[in-house]
Amino acid sequence: MAFEKNLEEARERAKKVKLFAHDVHGVLTPDTFLCDVEGRRKYSFWHMDGFGDLSLTANGIQIAFLDTTSIDEEGLVRARELKLDKFYYRVSDKLAKLEELKKELGIGYENIGYIGCEVTDISVMKSVGFAVATADAIDEVKEIAHYITTAPGGRGPIREVCEFILRAMGKWEEWVEKVTRMGYK
Amino acid sequence: MNAKEIAIEKAKKVKFVILDIHGILTDNTLYYTDDGKKSECFSLRDRLGCRALTEGGIGIAFLTSKITRTDEQVGKILGIPLEKLWGTSAKMSKLDEFEKESGLKDEDICYVGDEMIDLGIMKRVGFSVAPSDGSIEAKEVATYITRAGGGKGVVRELAEFILKAQGKWDSVIDRITKSG
Repeated sequence: MAFEKNLEEARERAKKVKLFAHDVHGVLTPDTFLCDVEGRRKYSFWHMDGFGDLSLTANGIQIAFLDTTSIDEEGLVRARELKLDKFYYRVSDKLAKLEELKKELGIGYENIGYIGCEVTDISVMKSVGFAVATADAIDEVKEIAHYITTAPGGRGPIREVCEFILRAMGKWEEWVEKVTRMGYK
Repeated sequence: MNAKEIAIEKAKKVKFVILDIHGILTDNTLYYTDDGKKSECFSLRDRLGCRALTEGGIGIAFLTSKITRTDEQVGKILGIPLEKLWGTSAKMSKLDEFEKESGLKDEDICYVGDEMIDLGIMKRVGFSVAPSDGSIEAKEVATYITRAGGGKGVVRELAEFILKAQGKWDSVIDRITKSG
């Protein structure tokens, strides 16, 4: 199914984002795991999604890993690797956590961005100002999203949406120039 | 009735789902390390599928020729009890045995398969399902073919189809979303 989205509207919504949240599996990963005969598991992440999250924090936008699905510590391990573990939350109710963060930051739902892919993301996506779906999200999620990434989960959706947000805010080019000169780590 | 309506009618009766592992829960790919250790790739969407089926009161078993330690670990992650991991290549007699002890009938059972070895059982059960990348023979026999290929959320999609047919999907997802 093709879903037409109004990019102008999506940009207007993205401009207001002060907190951008995402789950781990299905967004940062392709929602899969490798398992060997000893039960050891491997998870795949997308290198440049880390740059996406770091780009937002460097530009004054807070992020949040709302991890409901990690089997082991894969979500935390990834956040820690990016030195973003203070923004990592292991939660069961994502909407309740966002409500808490919203109060803490003194912002409204219009200032929250969120990217999701499953039925369990729908209530959050209906609440926030800027709702994004991955390319391989289920149809119901794509339907309510303001923006759909061309990348599926685990293949760079965060990198893509972070560029979209920073471009909407007019901060992207300056940021890229800065990174090119100074690096970002 | 068209094919979809027939599938919905059959899905309404399902009380138990039997899943072949290779090609259904996996994408058929085998990964080996240089020391000969094998891994396979599974979908976490299927964890949601298994959880939803269980919440909806539908039983699940894995049925494959041999249960490996990988399968046991995956069973744990997907919430399938050890006694429902069935390892035998005599799939039909396993089904006989299960029906006898559970009192379930062919029409209460959904079987998901993709290969020649699955055809007998697929013809027998009430609701047979094949993944989009299953063999031509399996897809010919199947009542329902998922959009997903093996290892890409076949069980997730099937769970939604069955639970929607039975009118349970929305309440099941509501419960899962609230409890994480």
